[in-house]
Amino acid sequence: MKLAVAGKGGSGKTSFSGTIARVLARDGHSVIAIDGDSNPNLVVTLGIAPERMRDMPTLPSDLLRRTENGIELSKTLEEVCDSHSLKGPDGVTLLVMAHPQHAGTG
Amino acid sequence: MHATVRSVIEVASEEQGDFCILDTEASPEHLSRGTAQYADAMLLVVEPYFKSLETGRRMAALAKDLGLERVALIANKMRGEEDLEAVREFARNNGLEVGGVIPYDELMPGAERAGSSPLDFAPEGLAVAAIERIARGLADGSVAGNGVPQT
Repeated sequence: MKLAVAGKGGSGKTSFSGTIARVLARDGHSVIAIDGDSNPNLVVTLGIAPERMRDMPTLPSDLLRRTENGIELSKTLEEVCDSHSLKGPDGVTLLVMAHPQHAGTG
Repeated sequence: MHATVRSVIEVASEEQGDFCILDTEASPEHLSRGTAQYADAMLLVVEPYFKSLETGRRMAALAKDLGLERVALIANKMRGEEDLEAVREFARNNGLEVGGVIPYDELMPGAERAGSSPLDFAPEGLAVAAIERIARGLADGSVAGNGVPQT
């Protein structure tokens, strides 16, 4: 199931997203979490030390390619996860899309 | 970044994960850019006051424009029956499902102040317990499930 969590700033959506991800992972589901915010802080609610984000390489610019069907990834999701994800203490895979200006704040 | 997020969600499938959870940007604008268009369901976290609910309503309308059928409100920071009734009335008036209710819990801002996660800081807290119920509802299809299409 692909789930988007949205809401006004301050509504608690990131705490909610991170916690459902962890609970589902603890229950034995495989879970990929994506922080779509340009100043990401989902990392903290997943129980991952925000410093670990700093060591992640930024996503390569050739990750997207244009095809006749529109825009698509030039790599498989597995490859993207291999190089650009962090594993949380419950087994959640956090896909790192952007670098925080100040990890763990905002 | 938005195009990348959209493409990642597009290819995320059951083989790569039972669940793919996208925490979106706070502005409704990202929805109009289609960030979440390939999601199966959208949960809109709202607080029981007008501006928050109104943002939820606008996001629900955008989600439906993107073709998302399964949209549910998650009522957060609820302090009592009056709050609950306000959200339920809003949901009824706008044809939205209330997929879950999370009580106000002082431990949640406490976790933020401590730079910790809710699940580590307050595992026995009321809010975490409610979120656990919602997560299991998502897994068994009783929250934002395939049952009755949302209108």
